[in-house]
Amino acid sequence: MSTVQTGTRTEPAIALSGVTKQFGTTVAVDGLSLSVKPGTTFGLIGPNGAGKSTTIKMMMGILLPTTGTIRILGRDVATEAEETKQRVGYVPELHFMDRWMRVQEVTGYCRAMYARWNDDVCREMLERFELEPTAKVAQMSKGMLVKLSLVLAVSHEPEMLLMDEPMAGLDPVGREEFLDGVLRTVCDRGQTVLLSTHALDDIQRIADEIGFLYDGRLLLQRNVEELLSSTRRIRATITQESVPQQVAANVVWQQVEGRNWTATVVDFTAETLQQLEALPGVEHAEVIQIGLEDLFKDLVKGQRSVS
Amino acid sequence: MQIDPRSHIPIYQQIADGMREAVAARVYLPGEAIPSLKAMALDAQVNPNTVQKAYDALSREGLIYARRGKGMFVAEQGNASAKTSARRSVQRILREAVRAAKAAGMTAGEIRQLFGASLDDLAHKGNGA
Repeated sequence: MSTVQTGTRTEPAIALSGVTKQFGTTVAVDGLSLSVKPGTTFGLIGPNGAGKSTTIKMMMGILLPTTGTIRILGRDVATEAEETKQRVGYVPELHFMDRWMRVQEVTGYCRAMYARWNDDVCREMLERFELEPTAKVAQMSKGMLVKLSLVLAVSHEPEMLLMDEPMAGLDPVGREEFLDGVLRTVCDRGQTVLLSTHALDDIQRIADEIGFLYDGRLLLQRNVEELLSSTRRIRATITQESVPQQVAANVVWQQVEGRNWTATVVDFTAETLQQLEALPGVEHAEVIQIGLEDLFKDLVKGQRSVS
Repeated sequence: MQIDPRSHIPIYQQIADGMREAVAARVYLPGEAIPSLKAMALDAQVNPNTVQKAYDALSREGLIYARRGKGMFVAEQGNASAKTSARRSVQRILREAVRAAKAAGMTAGEIRQLFGASLDDLAHKGNGA
């Protein structure tokens, strides 16, 4: 596994501190702080417009933050953008390849930009993805373009991969082939990977950690398995039509319909249930486990109801 | 190995359970190598760190052991400890079931009765003991 050493201490592979990005009067990213350890596969999730793409572009030095600092692999992106680009593989949301080019021309063009380009890696990946060097970009499907984009992102053997909604618009077979490609490079090189996505099933499979972004803020950052094993939906019958007040756990969303109270909580423990059942007005509580998709929906609903 | 990402059972546990079953069923014999991290990660389509976590858990149970630079192997008493481990996962499933029964408002007596009935059911079909 690749680690970034500064002295004896291991620095985070990704470190954002108080990052804000404004476009005119619009705040796209709002005081975002985030730390990702080397070797982690990190899934950045959140609804459209949450600031995922802007965040990734700032990590790549394509956009500059209005305030705050971003360190990637131990270096400040603002002052060492070129060195960062050499060490990071980037799969953008929109592929920048010229339509008239052939695959070998695209790879040749990228090869010239990187000091550490590895022809063997490139050739091997093209073969695995069944991409013909002579195929024209204009004639390639969305799935083939994304795979080519991944080949370009890993052929200079980067220490990190940043991917902006790479699986958007791919069919299930294309997604599987793409994920297989990502997993192979993670297995072989132990890279740190950050990807934004809406494909929650896929993120559950391949990510160690997820961060949930909403309105440019990080609402939640957890290890995926810990998050799933500690998230519960509670349904209780209550005597008054009012929400129980003293719930200790992290309620991400709740609603009262007649005498039924429903709440979704993270960091649930046995004590949470005991506390809940001891509350005056709570008659009968039922607890169920929910998946990432339901949690995601409830997080969004919870934010909308407070804003 | 089949992984259900929507299941409430954590993925590393699904991998560990699958490997326990495979060892208990003698798919892998004592002294034999089990799939490498990479092979398992690609087969199950999960992050290699997750496979590592599953393998760590199995090592702690004594089911598998690492040979430096050669990968993971089934322990000599692996098939026996697979049974012990399988017992542990059954225990976990039962606890979960009891919790669900309680949540559904069943009394301890009702739960015992239901458990007894389920056992009898199996005995009648000749599958259980």
